[in-house]
Amino acid sequence: MSRSLLDRQLIVVTGKGGVGKSAIAAAIGSVIASRRRVLVLEVDPRENVHQLFGAPPSGGEFVELAPRLHLQNLRPGQVLDQLVREKLKLERLARRVLESPIYRHFAAGAPGLEEMAVLGHALRVLRGEAPKAPGADVVVLDAPATGHGVSMLAAPTLVSEVIEKGPIGSMTREVADLVGDPARTGIVVVTLAEEMPVTEALELRETLSERLKREPDLLVVNGLYPPVARATGRGELFELWKRRRAVNERELGRLDREWPEARAELPLLPLGRGVELVAGLSDALRQSLEGGAP
Amino acid sequence: MSLDRALAPLVIVVGGGGVGKTTLAAALGLRSAEEGADTLVMTFDPSLRLKDALGVGAEARDNEVRVAADTPGRLDASLLDAGATFDRLIERYSKDRAARERILGNRYYRHLSGGLSGILEYMAVERLFEVASGERYERIFLDTPPTHQALDFLEAPDRIVDFLDSGALKLALKEWFDDSGRLKPAARFGRLGRRFEAYLDDFVGLELLRDMADFFQAFAPLFEGFRARAHQVGELLASRETLFVMVAGPGEEEIPDLLFFARKLAERGYRIGPILVNRVHPRVAGSGSGSSAPDPEDGRSLLAWLGERDHAGLQALEGLLEPDQTLIGLPLLADAPTDLASLSELGRVLGARLG
Repeated sequence: MSRSLLDRQLIVVTGKGGVGKSAIAAAIGSVIASRRRVLVLEVDPRENVHQLFGAPPSGGEFVELAPRLHLQNLRPGQVLDQLVREKLKLERLARRVLESPIYRHFAAGAPGLEEMAVLGHALRVLRGEAPKAPGADVVVLDAPATGHGVSMLAAPTLVSEVIEKGPIGSMTREVADLVGDPARTGIVVVTLAEEMPVTEALELRETLSERLKREPDLLVVNGLYPPVARATGRGELFELWKRRRAVNERELGRLDREWPEARAELPLLPLGRGVELVAGLSDALRQSLEGGAP
Repeated sequence: MSLDRALAPLVIVVGGGGVGKTTLAAALGLRSAEEGADTLVMTFDPSLRLKDALGVGAEARDNEVRVAADTPGRLDASLLDAGATFDRLIERYSKDRAARERILGNRYYRHLSGGLSGILEYMAVERLFEVASGERYERIFLDTPPTHQALDFLEAPDRIVDFLDSGALKLALKEWFDDSGRLKPAARFGRLGRRFEAYLDDFVGLELLRDMADFFQAFAPLFEGFRARAHQVGELLASRETLFVMVAGPGEEEIPDLLFFARKLAERGYRIGPILVNRVHPRVAGSGSGSSAPDPEDGRSLLAWLGERDHAGLQALEGLLEPDQTLIGLPLLADAPTDLASLSELGRVLGARLG
């Protein structure tokens, strides 16, 4: 299963805040970029993924990070405006529409439209239809945290109920098809092996199956303490290690029972947030992504 | 040792994702009730974490539910449901049943109340106001969504007024649609008119726009009440009754967000209380102050590295804060409190540090 995750067109990475979601998205992008052309797409307006690659901020543009690896911080408004410009070849008319209050209200007010636009942008990049976009075989989306992540995945269905016609209507249908197709879209959930994040990951799994009728492909359990095994000792740090590891094991046990899909387990790495961390996580992930059974 | 001196009747707990806001809000709430104050803890996190920690279930959705804690003050918990709060507001401000039905049945409204994130934030503030004006509690703790959404949340009262005030109301006044549901000539932008209408229809479907216009027209009579309320909510947030408690994780990467948010709060004239840096790894004397690379197989060595990292982060933050701001580091617990006993213990530690 993990094997085929590397062959998807769109990989959506979500999880509770603070679990290392962006770093995992960056690492997945790095792993895949060894063979295929990747765009890492960030939607958080407070850009931070570029720091993980030691690159300048994207500011909405495409930034080259490495061979076959690009980053973009996407402003959802960009996508809809671009659609209008393409539909209306005449610049004067396009400007008129873009500046009209009825359009502005529609763009800001229609529920789910911005989220749908992000996914629509990913689809256009994959097809080589997005202006100035580098060629990409895969888009890795650093999606919003859990609750909003599901809203994003469910947005195409929501929008398709109210907009059936025109370029938005057809984009919406195509995006809904893409997201609903497990052969093309992979969903990766990131968590820590602690009670609350695991609870949230399990809730996310349930919501996905209710609202999208599909399962996530991979659970990445991040930041695991090393097994205590035969180490002996005393003192504050040893006690804390033992107890933190015990929490990890308890939660891994819960996942054994309640998370039937694939799982990758990553160690807690003593690395500051940045290029080294992404390299370390990529090495650890590569083994579970390529090394057969996770 | 009392929270009275350190906190206010309304405490809004803000901070990034995964830093333990919900747990700290619950622990503070429990402490407050232990000190004898009738207390409510509200969260509107969609994953309903508060119910795990406080042992309340789905019945707390949009309701205040008694927590089974044996405390001198009453402790209630409530989970915010934006859709239900919105529905209740509509019911309150609608002048009759027909007006209410018209809004509640509108297709655009049904999507709006369920899916629009700004509305969710606004509803949290609304609900806070509703409960606060009920005066059933001596202290209320509100646990908010992560920082960038919390900003939305602070700006929500202004934004909802802007939204209703601007073009949306023009839609409500049917400036664009005549009674037969066709775009009025004024909306067709003169010579471009026919094409514009055809284009809009082609682009999104006039039906959706008609739904939106209908919604705003039905909404117009409610608007004054809504605007007055949003104004009062803004005043409540800025009043002496309200205190913002910021929570952050210990890493240095958390600092820019924290400072940004503190500045935003100050700009709006909100009162900033203590800044809680949560889950700080212990720094153990003589555990090798970063001289050699940590051994990733040895948890002690990892923890020592984390202890140094967190210490450096706290010091950096301390140096950047205004002199009158209080920074409180809270140690990482071996396990997150998931029951009342461990919440109470955390609340006791917190109370001591605050008082």
